[in-house]
Order: sequence, then structure tokens, then C-alpha cells
Amino acid sequence: MGKKILEVKNLKTKYITRFHEDVYAVDGVSFDIEEGKSLGVAGESGCGKSTLALSMMGYYFPPLHYISGDIVIDGKNISGMDPDSVRKSILGTEIAYIPQAAMNALNPTQRIIRFVEDVIRVHDPRAKKKEIRERAEQRFAELGLPKTVLDKHAVELSGGMKQRTVIAISTILSPKVLIADEPSSALDVTSQKMVIKMMRELMEKGYIKSMLFITHELPLLYNVTDDIMVMYAGQIVEKGTAKEMVFDPTHPYSHGLMGSILVPEEGTRGTTLTAIPGTPPNLKKPPQGCRFAERCKYAKPECRYSSIPEKFFGDGGTRMYRCLMGVDELKEVYSHE
Amino acid sequence: MKNTLRQVFHSSKFVVGFVIFVAILLTMIVYPLINPGNPLEMIGVGTFAKPGTYVSLYDATKTPTETLRLSDAGDKRLAKLLSDEDRVAMVEWFTAMGIDVEGLDISDTDALLELWRANYDPSAKPKGMTQARRNYYKRLNNSIASINASETLIIAEKNDAGELEEQGQITTTDYVNVRQVANVKALPLGTDNFGRDVLKELVSAAGTSIIIGLIAGAVATLVGLTLGLLSGYVGGLVDDIIMFVTNIFTVIPGFVLLILISYSIGQEQRGATVVALVIGLTSWTWTTRSVRSQVISLRNRDHVNLSKLSGHSLVRIIITDILPYIASYVVMAFILQVSSGILAEAQLSLLGLGPRTTEVPTLGLMMNWAMLYSAHTNGSWWAYFPVILTITLISFSLNLMNTGLDQVFNPTLRD
Amino acid sequence: MKGYKKYFGKKIVWFLVTLVVAVILNFVLPRLMPADPVAAITGKMAQGMTDASAVQEIYKRYEEEFGTNKPMITQFFIFVKNLLRGDLGTSFSQYPRKVSDIISSAIGWTIALQLPAILVGWLLGNLLGALAAYIRKGFDKVLLPVALFMSNVPAFGMAVILLVLFAVNWKVAPIGGGYAFDMIPNFSWRFIKSVISHYQLPFWSIVLVSIGGQAVGMRSMSIYELNADYVKYARFLGIKDRKIVGYVFRNAMLPQVTGLALSIGTMIGGALVAEIIFSYPGLGSTMYSAVTAADYPLISATTLIITFMVLVVTFLLDIIYGFIDPRVKAAQFDA
Repeated sequence: MGKKILEVKNLKTKYITRFHEDVYAVDGVSFDIEEGKSLGVAGESGCGKSTLALSMMGYYFPPLHYISGDIVIDGKNISGMDPDSVRKSILGTEIAYIPQAAMNALNPTQRIIRFVEDVIRVHDPRAKKKEIRERAEQRFAELGLPKTVLDKHAVELSGGMKQRTVIAISTILSPKVLIADEPSSALDVTSQKMVIKMMRELMEKGYIKSMLFITHELPLLYNVTDDIMVMYAGQIVEKGTAKEMVFDPTHPYSHGLMGSILVPEEGTRGTTLTAIPGTPPNLKKPPQGCRFAERCKYAKPECRYSSIPEKFFGDGGTRMYRCLMGVDELKEVYSHE
Repeated sequence: MKNTLRQVFHSSKFVVGFVIFVAILLTMIVYPLINPGNPLEMIGVGTFAKPGTYVSLYDATKTPTETLRLSDAGDKRLAKLLSDEDRVAMVEWFTAMGIDVEGLDISDTDALLELWRANYDPSAKPKGMTQARRNYYKRLNNSIASINASETLIIAEKNDAGELEEQGQITTTDYVNVRQVANVKALPLGTDNFGRDVLKELVSAAGTSIIIGLIAGAVATLVGLTLGLLSGYVGGLVDDIIMFVTNIFTVIPGFVLLILISYSIGQEQRGATVVALVIGLTSWTWTTRSVRSQVISLRNRDHVNLSKLSGHSLVRIIITDILPYIASYVVMAFILQVSSGILAEAQLSLLGLGPRTTEVPTLGLMMNWAMLYSAHTNGSWWAYFPVILTITLISFSLNLMNTGLDQVFNPTLRD
Repeated sequence: MKGYKKYFGKKIVWFLVTLVVAVILNFVLPRLMPADPVAAITGKMAQGMTDASAVQEIYKRYEEEFGTNKPMITQFFIFVKNLLRGDLGTSFSQYPRKVSDIISSAIGWTIALQLPAILVGWLLGNLLGALAAYIRKGFDKVLLPVALFMSNVPAFGMAVILLVLFAVNWKVAPIGGGYAFDMIPNFSWRFIKSVISHYQLPFWSIVLVSIGGQAVGMRSMSIYELNADYVKYARFLGIKDRKIVGYVFRNAMLPQVTGLALSIGTMIGGALVAEIIFSYPGLGSTMYSAVTAADYPLISATTLIITFMVLVVTFLLDIIYGFIDPRVKAAQFDA
């Protein structure tokens, strides 16, 4: 087992809506990532995966609020730190983020180099312009980006170029953990491939030590990440290696998601996760029992009110799922379909 | 639709605006019922009678009296007779005569009069005081003397022989009940330069101005909507031409066109309706632009394409597939046009280019009259301030409604 | 640079086209009216005149001035030719003063009053709107309704209120005019002081009225920008809120330049009327006296010069905007 770079323990966060209602979007999530590994997060839109990404930054501003839990990066617990020290000493260097809509992630009226200066100066206020430029040019070149990009405004870049620029800026301080929220979803196939290639390079060249990759496109996860976890209604319902999750899903929800997927080609657009009838529960008042029970084909009456434990199985207990039924029982049920 | 309405009425801004506007509208409708008559009737002979309740002096003397002994009546009478200016003038006299006024409070009528009676000398000629000023003090002294001179007034009428014959006496303790006086006229906002009841005129003017705003808004919205729909939906050459014209008229100030047209029409032809039409015809560009951009974003939506494939006519597609989606924008544009129409009328009238003055009052005309007769420099605030307030309130309420709608339909602006 | 050139060229063409249209409208609109304008205006001029030959003379003078006895198109070319020479005709009400003479003595006052007033109003309004958007709670709750209310006070209303409060009641400012009535314009210190004291009230009345509208617009724009994705991204890269607010306000402010360009026509309309209240010796008062005296050549010239000023300001703002907002450059490359 490698060194744990990221550990998340029982993290809970909520949104407060403008009607002052609490929405428990991340409700007790635990997982860890080892050095050099990448973890994929899959789930329907609204399952809390994007919120999970935001919650892990340790930097909260309305409407998102921290409730409880720990985020430990390379042995340092950042969840208890005050926001300003998180901002100064964690963001960008320890943990970095690639947003969902990278198209609009850059200030349209600012030259890229000015923004890079701002980013680097958060941690090194006295960095000289010349040094920053050299550093940026070098990093951009290594990631296959033309250095002319630096002197352009965001509005002058194409979509794919913008996304790759965002990735390069996010990782310019070589963070230990990179959180990528649907980094390639809005792009055409060619740009998507380039983005995926870039993510791999980042890992290989050691600019990032671990990665959390969020997407609703499952085939992508299979090709990009080592492990996959499936989220449903603010909780993780199953976790395992990419191969196990695709070929041998245990939880009825994962089973429903993965069942129809053929082994996909890298970069192609596959089935999205909408195959299961019904809608996720209201997270303002999460159900008492299993959150998937309403939509589960195999649900029993007790599923609706019993608290559902996390169960571990497989080699060394590395696989986890959250269901009342046993592994063998589920396998049995699936085999009859 | 019902849901949208409910959402709209959840917005506090919209509700506040709506309540103010409805209150103004209700006043327009109800007030003429309780106080009917021609708002342009000149009831006063002088100009700018102050706000208040006017009691007919003639009728009051013929009304049966009651005797009331009020201890502070005399003081009040004195206080009213000596104006602030008189008091300051009295102090000036004392100072000019070298009399010590240290610690004298000019609102203390008794002390002031006491000092005056003790010291005033009509024959004295203070240094540097003009004859006119000395005469003023003489008059002032006479009126002060008369205050306490007679405790009774005699009412006399001429008899057949042309001699005055005493009919009765009025003492300082005689009171009449206002309700028993035959003629009492309340003028809450006084009269204007022509002696017209300002409140009655204002209510009628606000009504006319709102109608002008509504007509102008309707014309501007209709023209803007039609051009915007054509431009956005048909596209191509039609779009190019319409946008060319629209862009030109966006830059050329509408206000200038308004002046030119209004002047050219001439005073005689310029009724309220004509003014409203002209305002509407010079302010459609905003609506055209926003409708066009909305329509362009709708034009290629699935439901519109489906309608096209089903062979529906242009008119039908516009009515069933486009209009419902831009309705909120059109309503918002209309509300803004109404408020700017009211303002445009007021500005035109101030330039002397408003509706002809003989038929109906408008807010702009009232303002224009007040300014022409210097109400603002002679202290007749009631002739112009209520007008400004009314214009502001109408346009404030309309804009609040608009902001409320904006927040409902553009969620990024929500708080 | 290519993008800018294209943008600049386009704007210049637009400026010229609108100018031509404005001149045509200025010429045609009064002549489109069904009534005989010569007779109508002569009628007005001749009100109270008993001398028939004098009326006749006015009629003739007008006809000659405008060449209304010639065909419309010839009239137009004469009009344009005179215009190019700076000849705007002779005033009726201040005969024999040249219209161009009257206009040139008024235009300086108007520019000196309105340009700074509108700019200051724009800046203050944007500042307040940005503050309201950033601070939100409390401040915003108070400021927004106040700004909304203020923006709905008509310019002339604000002018009257300021005039009554400061000049009539408290007597801390003069009642009207551009300088004390007993002075002759010169460069003495006394005269300049008088000009400044007469400047205050009209200036602030225009500023106060324009602040409200700008603040409301800037607030919405800033809130919209504060919710933009780049704000969230910059925050997660550890960039200070103060710096991000800088990005946001720059981006929110830029469209406000276009907003100013689009609303300058309306603002000047209101400000001209405010001039009348203060009898300020600018174009607004000139227009007013021209209307009252039925001085047709003067009205026509005033509207034309105001249109021209608005066109120039709009054009300049467009050009400035093109230079300061890279989005324009990008749009030009796309096009």
C-alpha cells in the first residue's frame, strides 16, 4: 500500500438556499487516495459530486457551508483551519481545482499572464514578473501549450485551449491533490482527448500526486482513473477499482448504471447515467433508511427505515458498498435477470 | 401562468411598487367622485392661496355663536398677529436705539410687547434709518396698539337711508362651530397661479399623465414588438433594414425628435393624445432591440422547429411559440416605456411644447405653470412639490414593479 | 491591431451615416407637417402686430431665409451648403443676431455643465452600485430603494428642489443664471467666483439624478459578475477577495461605458430641462426661449447641435470602449 495523500473522513456539508432551507448535499463521505493514484466519482447530476469537489477545498463561502468531518492532505488536516490560512497555504499548493465550466473560468478581460501572476503571488508575494513568466512559459511548454497563450485574453482562446490553459494554471504550483470536475464534458472529441492526455502527463511528470476525477461519463472514468466510486444522494454507495466497478458492480444502483455499458474506447462518448427510472430523493429531508430504496427494484420494506451500514469485502477489504443485502445475495438476484 | 403570477407577487419589490401604483390609480378614480367638478375651474381670484381650510367670513358672522373662555386665546391671537418678520424688525429697532436686548426671546410675545411699549417713540430717528423704514415701524406700532384696543368688533350694515346700523357685536370669546358655517372649503393643497384647486387639478393631471404614459407605452411597445419580431424571426434583409433604422434611432436622441415633431405639429393640433402618440413613436428602439435578441435565441429551439415542420403559419408560430416566451420581457419593456412616457410629457411641457393648455391639466403643464408664475421663488411649494412627488412616485412604483419582475425572470439577480 | 482598425472604421462609418440621417430629419420633419409652416410661424410672430406691412415683411424674410418657395430638394441643398459654412440662419426673436452666434455663446455653458456633471454622476453611481453589490446585506437594502427612488426624481424636479432649498430658503446659492446679472463676462477672479457659485446647483442636480440610475445598473451588473464562474475559480486558486472584487468591478464597469453611450441622449434631454429651471445660459435655456418666442431657425439649430453633440459623445465612448474591453477585439476577430 502506498502513502495516503488524501483522506476524507465522514465529511458533511450543506447548501443554504435563499429561502433559508438546508440542503445536505454531501452527507458523510469517507474515502482516501494513495500517492500516484486517481479516483473517479460517478453519479447522476444532482447527486452531490460537484458539491463534494467544492467541499474538499476546505474553503467555504455561501451558499456552501461546512458541517463536520476531516479532510487530511499529506497528513495535514485542513478542515479545521481558518479560511485565510487555507487560502494562503493550501489552495493551489496542496489542493487545486479544475471547474466544471472552464469556458467561463477565466476572467474574460484579463491577460492570462496577469492571472498567473496573481495566482503565484498568493504564495510568493515578492515573485518577480520575469521569473513568473519564465516559470509559466516552461510549464506551458512542457504541457504542450504555445507560450503565446500567455499574452492573450481569455476571450481570444478557443474552448479546448481555454480548458487546457485552466488545467495548466490550476497545476502551476504542483498541488498534491487535483480535483477535476467534468474537465472534458463540454468539449469536442479531439479537445477531450487532449485534455485526458494532459491529465495523464500531469500525473506522470509528477506535477500532481493524486487526482479526483468527477464525471457523469462512465467510459471516461474506466479509461482514466484507477478507482471509481459511485455517489447517490450525497453519499457514496459503492467503491472499488475501475475494473471491478465496471465488470462486477455490487450495489443495485451501480449495477443499474454499469449494466448496459460495453467496454468503451478511450475518449468516445458513452451512455450517460439516466437509465434508472425515478428521481433522487429530496436532500432537504434525506430519507431515514436507504436513499435508493424508492427506485430500487430489489428493495425490501426494512430498507426504507433501517440505517444502512457501509460493508467491506474483496481482497483485503478494499471494496465498499452500502446496502442491506449481502454480496452473494445480490449476485444471486442479478444472475436471474 | 398562475404559478408565474404567484412568483411575481412573492417579490417584495414588485408588491411595493404595485401597491403604490394601485393606490395612485384608486385615488384617480375615487377622488373625483367625492369632489366632483371641473379641475380647471378657477375658484380663487388671487394666485397661490395657501393650503388649508377656508371658512366663509360672511357666513361665519351670521352663524349663532357660543361663548368659550379659553385662557390662552389672547396669547395665540397676539402671536398670530405679530409675524416673525415683525418680531425681527422690533429687535432691530431696539438695537438701533441702543436698548439692551440681551436674553430677549423673540418668540416670547409678552416680553417683546412689554419692551416695545416701554421704549417705542414715534418721534425718534435712529441713525441711518430711512423714512420708509420709520413709517413701517409706525404702522407696526399702530397694529400693536390696536391689538388690545377693542375687545369687541361691531358688525354694521347700511340701512335704507344709507347709514350704518349696528347689527351685532363680536367679542373675543365668541366662537362658531365650523360645521354650522354654511360655506367651508378645504383646499389641502391650496390654489395655483390661476386660483384653481391644486389637489383636484393634481388628481386629474396625474390621471391624464398616466393615460399619456399608457398610450405612449402601448405605441412604443407595439412598434418595438412588431419590428423586433420581424427582425429576429424573419432575419436576412428584413433584419438588416430594421436594425439599420433601429441603430440610427438609438443614437439620435428621441428627446430631440420629440421637440422637433411637437413644435412642427403646432400648439393647436397638440392634444394630450397626439403628444402621447408622438412620444410613443420616438421611443420604440429599446423594445425592438431586446425583443429581437430574445427572438433570435428562441428561433432555433426545438418547439419552434417542430411548429415549422408541421407547416404552421408565421403568425401562428409567432403567437403560440414565440410570444409566450418573450411575454415577460415585453411586459417589463412596456412598464418602463410608460414611466419614461410620463417623464417625456413633463419635460416637453416644461419646454412649452406640451399638450395645449385649455382642456385638461397634465403633470407637466402644472409644473410649467408653477414655474412660469415663479411658485418656486415665492414660496408656494404646494404648486410644484406635489407635482414632482407624484411624478416621482408613479415612476418609482413602475420601476419597482419592473425590478421585481426582473428578479423573478432573471434568477442571477436574486438576492 | 487589425481588429481595432476594423472596429474604428465601422464606428466612423456609423457616425457619418447617423449624422446624415439626423441632418435630413432635422430638415424634413418640420416640413412634413400638413400646415404651411411659413404661415403658421408668421402667424405666431405677428401676434399682436397691427401693421400689415410688418407681417408681410416677416413672411418674406422667413420665405427668403428658408427658400420655402423653391422645391424641397433645392431647399435641402441650400440648407446643407449653409450648414457646411456654419451658417444656421438669422434668429427671429433676437433679430438681426445670427443663430450660429447665439448657439456658440450657449454651447460652451452646456458642455461645461453637462459633461462633468454626467461623468461625475456616472462615476459616483457606479461606485455606489458596486459597493451595494459587494456589501449586499443592510447597506444594499437601504441603498437600493433610495437609489431607485432618486433615479425616478425627474431632473427638473431635483433642480427645483435644490433651488428652493439652497437658493430660496437658505440663501447659500444664487437663484439662477450663469453668473451674477450685474457682471460682464471677463477673466477676473470675481467673475470666475461668481460663475463657480452659479455652477453648483445645476451641477449637483444633474449629478444627483444620474447617480441613482447608474447605481442600480451597476449593482445588477456587479451581482451578475460576482456570480460568474471565473470568480469561483479565482477564489479556489487562493486569490484574495479584494483582488477578485477588482476583476469583477472592471468587468461590470466596462458595459456601463456602453450603457452611458446609449443613455446619454436621454440624460441630456433631462439636463437641458434642468438648465431652464436655473435660467442657465446654455442650450436648454436657448431652446426654451426659442420655443416661447416661436423662433423657428433657432429651434432647428439647437436640436441639430444637440444631436451632433450626442453623436460625437457616443462615438467617442464607443472608441474608448473598443480600446479598454478586449471582448470587443475578440468579437471583431470572430466576425
